[in-house]
Amino acid sequence: MRIGIDVGGTFTDVVLIDDAGGKIHYTKVLTVPKNPAQGLLNGVEKILRIANATMTDLDYMIHGHGTTIGTNALIERKGAKTGLITTAGFRDVLEIARIERPDEGMYDLTVDLPEPLVPRYLRAEVEERVGSKGEVIRALDEASVVRAVKYLKEQNVETIAVCLLFSFLNPAHEQRVKQIAKEIYPEAFVSISSDISPEFREFERTSTTVINAYLQPIVERYIRNLIAMLNEKYGQVEVRIMQASGGAMSAEAARDHAVNIVNSGPAGGTVAGAFIGGMIGDKYLMTVDMGGTSFDIGLIIDGVPRVSSEGKFEGYPVKIPAVDVHALGAGGGSIAWIDEGGALNVGPKSAAADPGPACYGRGELPVVTDANLALGRLNPDYFLGGEMKLYPDRARAAIEKHIARPLGMSVEDAAWGIIRVINATMVKGMAGSSIQKGFDPREFTLIAFGGAGPLHACELAQEIGMKKVVVPLYPGAFSAFGLVMSDIRHDYVQTVAKPASALDPDELTRAYDAMEQQARAILREEKIADKEIEIQCTADLRYAGQAYEMNVAVPRNGKLARKDVDAMVARFHAQHQRVYEYSSHDEPVEVINVRLVGIGAVPDVKLPKRKRGDASPRGALKGKRAVYYAGRGFINVAVYERDLLKPGNIVKGPCIIEEIISSTVVIPGATARVDVWGNVIIEL
Amino acid sequence: MPKKKMQSADPVLMQVLRYAMEQIADGMGHTLGRTARSTIIKEIKDISCAVFDRNGNTVAQAHHAPMLLTGFEIPMKSLRKRFRDDELNDGDVIIFNDPYIGGQHVMDLITIAPVRYKRELIGFVGSIAHHADMGGAAAGGTQGGLTEIYLEGLRFPMVKLYKRGKEDSELFGILNNNIRVPDKTLGDIRAQASANFVGGRRLKEIFEKYGIAVVQRHTDALLDYSEKRIREGLKKLADGTYTGVDHVDDDGLTGKPIKLQVNIHKQGDRAIVDFDGTDPEVPGNVNCPIATVHAAVYYALIAVADPHVPANSGCYRPFEVQAQEGLVVNPRPPRACGARTNTSQKITEAMMLALAQAAPDRVMAGSHGQITNCGFSGYHPETGKRFVYVDIQGGGAGARWCKDGRDGQDSHLARFMNTPVEAVELEFPMRIEEYSFITDTGGAGKYRGALGLRRDIRSLIDDLSFGRYGDRQAFAPFGLFGGKEGGKGKFILNPGSSEERPLKSKGLDKLKQNDVVSLRLPGAGGYGEPRDRDPQAVLRDVRDGKVSIEQAEKDYDIVIDPRTMEIVK
Repeated sequence: MRIGIDVGGTFTDVVLIDDAGGKIHYTKVLTVPKNPAQGLLNGVEKILRIANATMTDLDYMIHGHGTTIGTNALIERKGAKTGLITTAGFRDVLEIARIERPDEGMYDLTVDLPEPLVPRYLRAEVEERVGSKGEVIRALDEASVVRAVKYLKEQNVETIAVCLLFSFLNPAHEQRVKQIAKEIYPEAFVSISSDISPEFREFERTSTTVINAYLQPIVERYIRNLIAMLNEKYGQVEVRIMQASGGAMSAEAARDHAVNIVNSGPAGGTVAGAFIGGMIGDKYLMTVDMGGTSFDIGLIIDGVPRVSSEGKFEGYPVKIPAVDVHALGAGGGSIAWIDEGGALNVGPKSAAADPGPACYGRGELPVVTDANLALGRLNPDYFLGGEMKLYPDRARAAIEKHIARPLGMSVEDAAWGIIRVINATMVKGMAGSSIQKGFDPREFTLIAFGGAGPLHACELAQEIGMKKVVVPLYPGAFSAFGLVMSDIRHDYVQTVAKPASALDPDELTRAYDAMEQQARAILREEKIADKEIEIQCTADLRYAGQAYEMNVAVPRNGKLARKDVDAMVARFHAQHQRVYEYSSHDEPVEVINVRLVGIGAVPDVKLPKRKRGDASPRGALKGKRAVYYAGRGFINVAVYERDLLKPGNIVKGPCIIEEIISSTVVIPGATARVDVWGNVIIEL
Repeated sequence: MPKKKMQSADPVLMQVLRYAMEQIADGMGHTLGRTARSTIIKEIKDISCAVFDRNGNTVAQAHHAPMLLTGFEIPMKSLRKRFRDDELNDGDVIIFNDPYIGGQHVMDLITIAPVRYKRELIGFVGSIAHHADMGGAAAGGTQGGLTEIYLEGLRFPMVKLYKRGKEDSELFGILNNNIRVPDKTLGDIRAQASANFVGGRRLKEIFEKYGIAVVQRHTDALLDYSEKRIREGLKKLADGTYTGVDHVDDDGLTGKPIKLQVNIHKQGDRAIVDFDGTDPEVPGNVNCPIATVHAAVYYALIAVADPHVPANSGCYRPFEVQAQEGLVVNPRPPRACGARTNTSQKITEAMMLALAQAAPDRVMAGSHGQITNCGFSGYHPETGKRFVYVDIQGGGAGARWCKDGRDGQDSHLARFMNTPVEAVELEFPMRIEEYSFITDTGGAGKYRGALGLRRDIRSLIDDLSFGRYGDRQAFAPFGLFGGKEGGKGKFILNPGSSEERPLKSKGLDKLKQNDVVSLRLPGAGGYGEPRDRDPQAVLRDVRDGKVSIEQAEKDYDIVIDPRTMEIVK
């Protein structure tokens, strides 16, 4: 038995997989913002009751954070008091950043880069210098280290980040600084950049290390508290924490890698998306999670969620491997408004849960949910299974007042306009997330979840030219579902920075071997049996002189030979051609980083199969209602209850498929069916 | 007229198409940044990409430097005149860099690709990128005081570098023979062409989906829409004539200051900007070509009228720029203009000064006021090959009506990135020894101007040429409404040694092994009376070492005890 828990801003979602009994349970409880561990415990208690299970059956529990702990501390700038130690002459790198003002600040004179997480007076310098070949140009002056640490101790910092130039090539000075810091100030946490993000570009590496340091005390306290609470109630419990990379790690390991759990919320959805892809036999999928305020887009390539280490969070670069999820400010709560030029805009401002859409009864401004309701796409009496009443009149009145009248159009046209504009925003994001990375979205299957995802999925897919849409099981708790099936994962990177032609295959082998040893050691500590361990090797390559690398797979069975290096380069040329429409076989290629992922595989999840029915969906028909469709206006269409649909049923659009947590709009010409596990699959 | 068009177009589809076109421009910028070879493109991002309609109007732009964005207006008009429709084929890439037909400076190569759908010309996609070298007297074109455009590098009229998708090997041959680092620059030019092809293909997909007439009607409406927004923004400003004056220190030759005067005539929903009172063109290379002048004026007016307008050609219709030929802001050939950014950023600064009279709560105090450009070149000891390293420096950003200047952040027309220290040292025989803020260079005020930056670079080889053009070493960044001036800049050779000496702001020197160049970039001006500053903000600045204790007392009359770090008066 295993449990997955996704702590979000409003709700904590809990999924329990009973492997022995072949059953899956899920539930929601309210998040307790002041003490998320308490909310988590409430959720565990509730799911155990529902599943009629006890903790003694538990194999492990995986815990992810939508918006809590690390992520929230960063958003609200409530991390620990942090000190930074840098090479002499470079303490301002963190604040100078890359000097570029943000995109939104192109003409807006008030838009600035975020303020540094460590103010200038807490940034100390040490005398030392490593050169661009990893050579020591100036030995570490230990007296200067002692001075720096003593100063930061006097200032009562709780945690120290260390980032020295070229430490990714030679970490000796950073390691020594850490040693000295631990001697002089043993209470402080110390994060060194060569451990956290050993890659070139000093600002990005410093930023990542600082975020780790800034969050580490908070994450450590949270984990300690959580484990104590669990132990008190249930005895020893195996707890794992989700990382942004889409893999989990033991709570123990997470204490040293706080930055890895930042923004781990969206990772669960892509892991679950990959799993669903495996069930339905699709390897290229795009996941879209549309909630109240945001729209998260993920890609699954060849069955695996796409991971990249070029992310930013809250404007700060975070150079750690993370599931490549692109988030937009578009959701059910996005507010529609008319600008000075008379154009209709939707978002990025959101009414969120408070005051919420006009149709919730408190808000005044029209939002996307109001438009969906006004167009008959949502059922006012079946929102959250009828637990929450919606007011269509209020939705119509808000649209009328703020959109329809100023634009001189009918309420229906205005509502449909809101849907089209928000869809165009999302389509732009979906195109950017795929085409810019070298993938043609038309070859992908769309997996839509979150409360609002299924309402828009068919239109988004149609707009972008996708042919297949899946509304998976548990669309409202999909991330928690992904958490529970996440493998354990540890990422390693080593900068090589050499021309491929000059690269000694033995050197490459040694680099991978060293990383593999580290990975196996920690996985063993996490009680993963050797046969469950999987090692994946990749490398980052580029044409000599380029600034950005492409990650290519490096199949490795023991020692690498020249032909393996050549194969790696060949893969790079092909990939460059696909993404950027050209490749250049005469140009020298450089190998910048080698990367290794150690995976501790968890057992496959086996979902229960459902009983088949015939082609007719009549048993699930709830009735008919008027729904607005593009170019056709309001038409009376069938409304089906999703839970009553049986595998084999064929449902033709236009129609609506309702469930407690969401509602799927099936467009004219589309055909929906239910597979044996209960996923709704729509062919366009 | 505009009104009628708005009615016939669907305002929702207009937004849908706007997002789709913006995505094309962003995608092109992404391709270019990712695949380029020289640091000036790949790290600094001195590029821009745009999508145009069939008439050459800009419809959508990627989020890059405002100077280059608005700089497409004039050259696209030249291009439409230069080529007949039937001469514009799918797969063609037209290049040019001539400042006298609407280019920027010769280092900025513009590439434009016509796009046809069902054989009909439906539009263009284009990119502009600053190249590491274009030949000429100085590596990277970065030398102050050049006297003729012939010295600045190869100057292309509008010619086809690609014809129907095929490279013109003759033109590539000419480029190859005349530039210092062909490996890199030719790679960069191919990256530009590749971005155009990617963009062109996507533009066709949009036309295929919606049909030619529908797209055209709605992109026309989009331009009208942006125009309307700017007009609405202008209406909110009081009518009148507003004048602003700033100076370029000198032209790198004569040592004489150059006066820039803008006169904004704001009437209803229009703004005419003339340059009466501005100095004539100069022998040195700070002459500012007309396309860059337009960009500087447009930028300031958009920032004040409506900074969130979708930026396209419609925005510029309510503006008129009158710059007499023969002025430093509309030079005649063969004047040199490589260092034009010393001038163009000052135009924007003068615009800010003028606009401060009409909209005190929309402007920024004086900033770094230039794009400091440094070019280092020599032979790499490991490869024996020639290298050119162009580094662009930011400086202080001015304080605003609502907050301090953000230390470290670039301002106005430039929206570039710096080059990481590790990126420089991995590639070039140089070592950076300091990159930091300079205390007391932020102008005092209710809101403080940003600090200047210091960057010290050591040469690891002999015979390293160091060309540059910098400014604001004589004329400091101005403060507004009682705010004080920011610190001036200076360049120093071998600071703190017996060989220490100042270097000219615009010039070319040869460095020996172990010479250190210390770039001290100007800070920025403050906004509002210093006495109105929150004492806690002064204390914070002192604690952070951004303002010295002495300066805090002098500027703000606040006395801080250095031991307790508490305010005693």
